[in-house]
Amino acid sequence: MRRFVNARYGGVAIALHWLTVALVFANLTLGVSMVPLPLSPHKLQWYAWHKWIGITVFIVTCLRLAWRAGHRPPPLVPMPDWQRRGADMSHLLLYVLLTLIPISGWLYSSSTGVQVVYLGLFPLPDLVPKDRTLATVLKWTHYGLNSTLFAVVIVHALAALEHHFIGRDSTLTRMLPSAWTRSRRS
Amino acid sequence: MKLLSRVARLAVTAIVLAASSVNAQEVLIDKSEIRFVAKQLGVNVEGRFRKWKASVVFLPADLAKSKAEFDIDLASIDLASEDSEKEIRAPLWFDTAKFPVARFSSTAIKDVGGDKYEVAGVLTIKGIKRDVVVPIAIRKDAAGNRVGEGAFTLKRLDFSIGTGMWADTSTVTNEVTVRIRIVLPPAA
Repeated sequence: MRRFVNARYGGVAIALHWLTVALVFANLTLGVSMVPLPLSPHKLQWYAWHKWIGITVFIVTCLRLAWRAGHRPPPLVPMPDWQRRGADMSHLLLYVLLTLIPISGWLYSSSTGVQVVYLGLFPLPDLVPKDRTLATVLKWTHYGLNSTLFAVVIVHALAALEHHFIGRDSTLTRMLPSAWTRSRRS
Repeated sequence: MKLLSRVARLAVTAIVLAASSVNAQEVLIDKSEIRFVAKQLGVNVEGRFRKWKASVVFLPADLAKSKAEFDIDLASIDLASEDSEKEIRAPLWFDTAKFPVARFSSTAIKDVGGDKYEVAGVLTIKGIKRDVVVPIAIRKDAAGNRVGEGAFTLKRLDFSIGTGMWADTSTVTNEVTVRIRIVLPPAA
């Protein structure tokens, strides 16, 4: 029997969390696969999808933050102070990165003179004028922020797994859909 | 008699000078531009040419003697990235190794009223010639320069631009809008 099984995240928070996981996993994979491709219609299509998914991450993150403002997450399970501080910091960092990375990509696209048209339907305004020097800076900014995100996600996931399998507390299960945890507990 | 012949010579010189005003007027290249825009997966993608030459004779009172010729260095294209510039110089697009220059040469200029003109001519890209008509509106800028602006649409596949895997017009539209701005100094 795990401790604090009742202090769970709400259904909306859980859904938005795992939606973010799926989108970020898809877009990181797409991002690192598409860049080295030789220029082709196929590559352009992948870039378009990458931008659409990125803008979706931004929208989902805004929704999460709005939802979180009205629905405080359950308190952390008892853990050492350094872990608590680490968890708070990495959660904050994840929110910051999930907001900044899509914006840095949008800025980068604008600086190359390519407008972002969300889902091929909604043209987003160009944030900066076309500028090749700025484009190079923004490209590496986008890359750097994503590398940071990748590192923080690894720490975040490893910490959750450590709490689950070694600490045997409810850190992970309270973020899983209740139907899934019920079937696993019975 | 000597005086008369001198007058005659002067008159001839004046006529020759007057005739030489039909020579090409200097185009203020820095103020002028040749841009284009096509849609790529629903997104407007713009570019321009960094290097081109123009030879323009524009005499509103004598359109038959007026003429416009452009030589565009296709390899000087300015696009979103160096990658796309490299791609567009390749054989599937402009093939600039074989066809470095695109040329427009006017055949007739028609006054359509209200400082608007229709410049008909032949556009040659990749060795393929097509007739085009470019509507141009003329205005004066603050410095008194004559600014001619206009746009026309060409079909890239008419000139074999973007063949093979790029021929699919759902990736890059067939229609490319070319916008030009030519700035001439004030008429002498």
